[in-house]
Amino acid sequence: MAPPKPISKILTANRLTNGETLFYAASGTWSAFVTEAKIVTTQEGVDELTKIGADAYAANQVIDVNVIDATADGDIKPKDIREIIRATGPTVRLDLNKSMSPAGK
Amino acid sequence: MYLYDNFDQTITQQRIGEFRDQVQRRLKGELTEEQFRPLRLMNGLYLQLHAYMLRVAVPYGTLSVVQLHKLADIATKYDRGYAHFTTRQNIQYNWIKLEQMPDLLAELGSVEMHGNQTSGNCIRNVTADQFSGVAGDEIDDPRVASEVIRQWSTFHPEFAWLPRKFKIAVTGAAHDRAAIQFHDIGLQIVRNEASEVGYRVFVGGGMGRTPVIATEVRAFLPKDELLSYLEAILRVYNRYGRRDNMYKARIKILVRELGAEEFIRQVEEEWQASDRALVNLPPAEEDRVRKFFADPPYEKIAVPVAAFEDARKNDKAFARWVATNVHTHKVPGYGAVTISLKPPGGIPGDATDKQMHAVADLAEKYSFSEVRVTHVQNLVLPYVKLADLHAVWQALGKIGFADANIGLVSDIIACPGLDYCALANARSIPIAQQISERFADLDRQHDIGPLQIKISGCINACGHHHAGHIGILGVDKAGVEFYQITLGGAADENAAIGTLIGAGFSGDDILGAVEKVIDTYLELRQSGETFIDAYRRVGAAPFKEKLYGRR
Repeated sequence: MAPPKPISKILTANRLTNGETLFYAASGTWSAFVTEAKIVTTQEGVDELTKIGADAYAANQVIDVNVIDATADGDIKPKDIREIIRATGPTVRLDLNKSMSPAGK
Repeated sequence: MYLYDNFDQTITQQRIGEFRDQVQRRLKGELTEEQFRPLRLMNGLYLQLHAYMLRVAVPYGTLSVVQLHKLADIATKYDRGYAHFTTRQNIQYNWIKLEQMPDLLAELGSVEMHGNQTSGNCIRNVTADQFSGVAGDEIDDPRVASEVIRQWSTFHPEFAWLPRKFKIAVTGAAHDRAAIQFHDIGLQIVRNEASEVGYRVFVGGGMGRTPVIATEVRAFLPKDELLSYLEAILRVYNRYGRRDNMYKARIKILVRELGAEEFIRQVEEEWQASDRALVNLPPAEEDRVRKFFADPPYEKIAVPVAAFEDARKNDKAFARWVATNVHTHKVPGYGAVTISLKPPGGIPGDATDKQMHAVADLAEKYSFSEVRVTHVQNLVLPYVKLADLHAVWQALGKIGFADANIGLVSDIIACPGLDYCALANARSIPIAQQISERFADLDRQHDIGPLQIKISGCINACGHHHAGHIGILGVDKAGVEFYQITLGGAADENAAIGTLIGAGFSGDDILGAVEKVIDTYLELRQSGETFIDAYRRVGAAPFKEKLYGRR
């Protein structure tokens, strides 16, 4: 039997009031920066993030809640290009982009 | 231009007030997202990758300068200083905040604008030829029918919850500049043998994952019968269109499943049984609407216009711009100017607040205060005196909108793609930017001649790739963006769906592949032969061989 695929996930959503892309942070709050995202590597962790997302959605804080694949080689960042673009902004308007981290990286 | 009457004004203001209340209830948590989502979509508010996106309806692509100034102000105040003109002649904003939407809608309402009919399974904002009322080849002005359709379809209670969205386009000329055969209903204004004006009616065209060229369901519909016949089509669709599978819910699938003959029979039966006199527009009301589209106070101008001819003779760049960007006008001494929103390396259809203000100022000074939006994501000044063209061209140059490329290789349609859109699988805009930069040399573009490249970032085909002479479709291949090429599509009266040419190309290779296709055309074209004519003569084989080698 093939070994189970390694898990590496983060929780993302958009803020209800302004649609801003957010990531659930290790500090227990929502952050605009993906590098602050809480990354989980177990199914229990995924379940916990899923519940946190559902609760925040039910509390009308966020919409479009998803647990997504992420990599943590160095800074945390999403795995798929769609989510990388969500985290940073349109690749054709770099002047409007936000960095992945508060430090500006 | 049409001006709102009290009824238009009242229902728009009521909707603005209603949505203000709905937003407040949502923000207080009194409405869930499931409850609120269809309500915000009814007002044109989507959620995209980075923020909410608002799509504002521009009925049949016609704008006053007051409206364009307001659209620019909204870009400044509520967005990030720019907006995007779409393939449905609308405009959309990418960075909208829900909490600001009520005030934004109130500002739009102050200039007779809104986001109604830009989303949801209703009759969407009607589109038309951008040269309506000024084209020399026009039988009748399609803005009259378009405005009638706008009023009839607005908040039409029977058609508020159709199986899927429903798009209607109108052209007044035999040469189709509105892509009517790719619409749910396409209307071509024609004359019958008795020289009476009416409509050739097409049904069931569309793009998306199942591209279909519309079926002609009536060669001639008397003009006065338009609304009752539209209602019969919509009623058959509303009754039998599929609601169990959104991918099979468009009217094109119903026409296919019933067969054209049976579909037509049902529509005719419904139409004959209906109270047509009740639904059809009284002639007096059509006359009232038509008066809004009366010609502006043209001057009587003797042609040729010496100043214009001299400028064209002495300034090669101006002459080239006139050749591509100025359309023949029905009134001697005037031209219709297409403003290219496609500078080399630019984002097709994007305009900043400053650019929109500048275009509005030019329209006020030179074009009877009116602007049009084209489905190819450009703008039009419909009434410019030939003597003023040089000054207009120079002014456009100052805002980066003077490229002489209308209808050429860099006049690319591109959807927002994965840079903005939640549905997209791949980016569209960077591919358009690469192509327009590679072919920036105008000598090269003019040598290649008429060529329409259209790019979509997913199979929903907002970038009209099926109808591109060269179509490019972005796909997700195991998490990587790939691009498929189709050849031979066309959106005009000779409508055609492009043929997939072979395996897709990576983002790094797609530009080279497009260039190979164009080089192949240049090698095999006969004297004066356009790309699409050459493709129709030789077929896909030479292009395939160049791209993939002999197989």
